[in-house]
Amino acid sequence: MADGVRAGPTYCGLGDRQDSASSTDGCSFPEYELPELNTRTFYVGAFGDLWRGRLRTVGDLSLSDPPAPRLPGCGGVADLGREDAAVARDLGCSLETAAELRAVCGLDKLKCLEEGEDPEVIPENTDLVTLGVRKRFLEHREETITIDRACRQETFAYEMESHAMGKKPENPADMIKEGELILSINILYPVIFHKHKEHKPYQTMLVLGSQKLTELRDSICCVSDLQIGGEFSNTPDQAPEHISKDLYKSAFFYFEGTFYNDKRYPECRDLSRTIIEWSESHDRGYGKFQTAKMEDFTFNDLHIKLGFPYLYCHQGDCEHVIIITDIRLVHHDDCLDRTLYPLLIKKHWLWTRKCFVCKIYTAR
Amino acid sequence: MGTPPGLQSDFEVLLSSFQETDSIHFEDFTELWRSMKFGSIFCGKMRNLEKNTFTKEALALAWQYFLPPYTFQIRVGTLYLLYGLYNNQLCQPKQKIRVALKDWDEVLKFQQDLINAQHFDAAYIFRKLRLDKAFHYTAMPKLLSYRMKKSQRTEVTEEFKDPTDRVMKLTTSDVVEEMLNVHDHYQNMKNTISADKSNPDKALNLIKDDFFDTIKNTVLEHQEWHKDRKNPSFNSKDKDGEEKKEGKSQETERCERAESLAKIKSKAFSVVAQASKSRRHRQVKLDSSDSDSASGQGQTKETRKRRNKETSKPKGRKLSSRGNLQNIHKEEKSLRLSMPVITEENESFSETEFMAPKKKRKHRTKSLV
Repeated sequence: MADGVRAGPTYCGLGDRQDSASSTDGCSFPEYELPELNTRTFYVGAFGDLWRGRLRTVGDLSLSDPPAPRLPGCGGVADLGREDAAVARDLGCSLETAAELRAVCGLDKLKCLEEGEDPEVIPENTDLVTLGVRKRFLEHREETITIDRACRQETFAYEMESHAMGKKPENPADMIKEGELILSINILYPVIFHKHKEHKPYQTMLVLGSQKLTELRDSICCVSDLQIGGEFSNTPDQAPEHISKDLYKSAFFYFEGTFYNDKRYPECRDLSRTIIEWSESHDRGYGKFQTAKMEDFTFNDLHIKLGFPYLYCHQGDCEHVIIITDIRLVHHDDCLDRTLYPLLIKKHWLWTRKCFVCKIYTAR
Repeated sequence: MGTPPGLQSDFEVLLSSFQETDSIHFEDFTELWRSMKFGSIFCGKMRNLEKNTFTKEALALAWQYFLPPYTFQIRVGTLYLLYGLYNNQLCQPKQKIRVALKDWDEVLKFQQDLINAQHFDAAYIFRKLRLDKAFHYTAMPKLLSYRMKKSQRTEVTEEFKDPTDRVMKLTTSDVVEEMLNVHDHYQNMKNTISADKSNPDKALNLIKDDFFDTIKNTVLEHQEWHKDRKNPSFNSKDKDGEEKKEGKSQETERCERAESLAKIKSKAFSVVAQASKSRRHRQVKLDSSDSDSASGQGQTKETRKRRNKETSKPKGRKLSSRGNLQNIHKEEKSLRLSMPVITEENESFSETEFMAPKKKRKHRTKSLV
């Protein structure tokens, strides 16, 4: 975890260290700036520290498998006794009360379906409005003989969401550490205004807090990276040598007044130079912009607002709006393999089209 | 998906019936749960994706009832509700409950209150949820993606809220202690500067010496009155008791009434019944402007509304319209009789109100037949 003080964007670095105990630290405590829309700027690393500080003691952060729910009859009396002792200790009650609680608050008290009843079937004599609505919907489908199957888009969306859940790495060194932050980022496709009037299509990626910005940049797959430029009329059947991704390697992220440029390769140019010069040439009303190197920063080092649109620009003019929608602590049921992150969990897809040139494969 | 239809009303029915049992034990909750067969809310041929989104929405909606300003009993009921929803869901792996950092301290305080008050079943259930790793520890309660369209705000049900007690907020124990200290200090000051070291000068008697005790007694009286007010109103929800409206609660009730009336009126007057073909020349038209416009066609809603206002103005009292107005009804005073207005056609809406059983209230008929 990076410290509060850093070259480049220094907001209230010193304040973070001193006030880590107080819950109203302005720079690391996410709260709404515009209600329901976006939060104020906060420091991601310190936010992680706040949560970890609150949870460390009770084992909430652990990623190991929780003990399997005990079947009635199995497990010796000693196990139950140990459990009751733990309950009595935590709640400050007696052992008998603990045993009683275990009986009274058991899950069987909440069972509403009898054994053998199919959860697919809506029970007959229900008063619940939700079920009434659902039942009417299903009955309407039956009357109009509409067959309700999962379409390809639905299967695809579900698969994307859940394909990596619970995956453990083969190499234990690739396991995510406890208390790691997971950010979920919406990357919008470059906007074509007349086409994207109703909604703007986007893909969603999960990244770890300890991953560098360059890793996100490498995992964003954009069609403009696959373009092939050049004159090929003399050799139309020759396989192309380069795609644009290999030729034009510059890119930048813009977060909170700082441009993070990709400077890993010598041919990378500073694309943000133009913007900074433009804003400094006259008094445009923008604050001083700063630049930094993308490869030096991880997501934990950033100061960001949740829900606020930022920018990713590559290939000189291909711009994607980026919105960080959520940050949370890693959970035991998430994908625990570091190598799979940044993980794509939602991709916009409506129809596939066949490539009009080869007429064999689908167009990407 | 947005909030699934009917889900909020189901939750509110469950929570209000739990509130009526006046208990916070898990056994009472499970009786209600089983009688409503609430666990079956996940039934009905939902495929995986829909199950996931529905469960997420259900948990997010239930979570809203867990935080202040809801009453303690409602919050305990919501804890049980979350326990039930989490364990009865059909998603595999289970959808988790999102807790934001800003709410976590409230949650811990709530848990401590439960343990201190020895409500062991609620504390046990919270502990169990935590051990089962049912929570996702997040930055904000919802995912924020800068959607600019206006989403509907779920309004806090008035009955579930603790009425804001300005008196108690002002006179917290810290404030009271400090006042006592300042008073003692002041007395000592007076003693030291006056001639007689044990008694202050007569000329310095500018305040009542026992004002602190007076304040304490007043506050205690207020608390007692509050408690008494709350308890009888619980038991006689269905009876039309004559309640004395005093102090600021009258204001809140009047505002509540006014709001509910306005809501009901706008609801009633926004729906127009379609006249049959033989009477289409007398079709009621919905006029968007407010009551002052003189309307043309026969018996339009505007004239009716105006007539309402005229009859009610001399009384200075609002008429309660039809509909389910339990909370308004219990606050009604006995003198709300007004002249029956006999209108054209066969409309027989009399606005006479009877204090006794609600059922005798005549319904206003709205349609032109």
